[in-house]
Amino acid sequence: MARVLLSTLATFTHKVSPIQLIRTSTAITHAPRYLSTTRGVLSERKYTEKHEWVAVDGKIGTIGITNYAQEALGDIVYIQLPEVGTEFEQMEECGVLESVKAASDLFTPVSGKVTEINSAIEDRPELLNISCYDEGWLFKLELTVPSELDGLMDEAGYENFLQENKE
Amino acid sequence: MRYLPAWELQKRIAARVMANVKEGKEARHTLLLLEHYPVFTTGIRKSDYTPEVEAQLKSTGADFHRTNRGGLITFHGPGQLIAYPILHLSSFSPGIKWYVCALERTVIRTLRGLGIHAHTSPHTGVWVGENKICALGLQGRHVTTHGLGLNCNTDLQWFTHIVPCGIPDKGVTSVTQELRRETTISQVEPHFLKAFAEVFKCQLVFS
Repeated sequence: MARVLLSTLATFTHKVSPIQLIRTSTAITHAPRYLSTTRGVLSERKYTEKHEWVAVDGKIGTIGITNYAQEALGDIVYIQLPEVGTEFEQMEECGVLESVKAASDLFTPVSGKVTEINSAIEDRPELLNISCYDEGWLFKLELTVPSELDGLMDEAGYENFLQENKE
Repeated sequence: MRYLPAWELQKRIAARVMANVKEGKEARHTLLLLEHYPVFTTGIRKSDYTPEVEAQLKSTGADFHRTNRGGLITFHGPGQLIAYPILHLSSFSPGIKWYVCALERTVIRTLRGLGIHAHTSPHTGVWVGENKICALGLQGRHVTTHGLGLNCNTDLQWFTHIVPCGIPDKGVTSVTQELRRETTISQVEPHFLKAFAEVFKCQLVFS
């Protein structure tokens, strides 16, 4: 078989020429907004433009992705969480979410050292789709630069952000 | 083209698209069409494929690479049209779910133009009956890399060394096999480009 393939390779002269794409019409509209029902019960969540959230309790922040993100990703089949003890800077890649044949990077909304990961979700990735704000939390970290929270959006700000980006 | 240089090229283009978007410039989304030398690739769930499996697959004469895309193991090689769309997703529609469907629809349209009736299934990818004719494996929530492999006149024997995409009891097929006549990448390409422009609602500018 190898010999046959070698002769095929010898005649292979296909060149790579990147093709540019120019949009001719606007994007398709997507899922409706989601309103949080746990507002005011836990310490308030803050949000990033990459659709991650962080809920702070003292020095520990719990991190997850928003409903908008889990809907956009589709059924999650595999989650790669960071290792406990690893330190990250704000917006550094810290894990991967795999859904429907696509792998997406997970970014940390704030700098810190990972203290705990949600092992339940590693075995049941669908929890991330079903309950992204509660059982679907991803990992906790000890904040090293708490002032970063001031730069993130609150719930109202995030809702506005979603609305603005719908157009 | 060998797999690793193609992957490097994708990463460079993706970085450029990301930078363009951040700077508020035109994104310059790019579609790469190419053909690989024989290679087996895995996705991020690499622990399913041990060094023994890797050695056994390399002994067939193909390359082996572990990548950062979604999906499980697959084969790329001569006769398979590879498309790597490097897009800033939000400019089209922000969801990966939408993007996967859009790529599947593009391939189904492509095949319709050739007279092949293909469909999707819960397994992702594009199927003709019980056989997969096109595999998908993607990466990136904001700027996409990796893409799809559509079998035109691929030597399907290569797939016998693996369980393609981790789905047992299903087969693989190609345009050549379905049409019962030799059909090359060059013959499929125009149909693919037309379908892509229609589904993604864009103009193609060739460089």
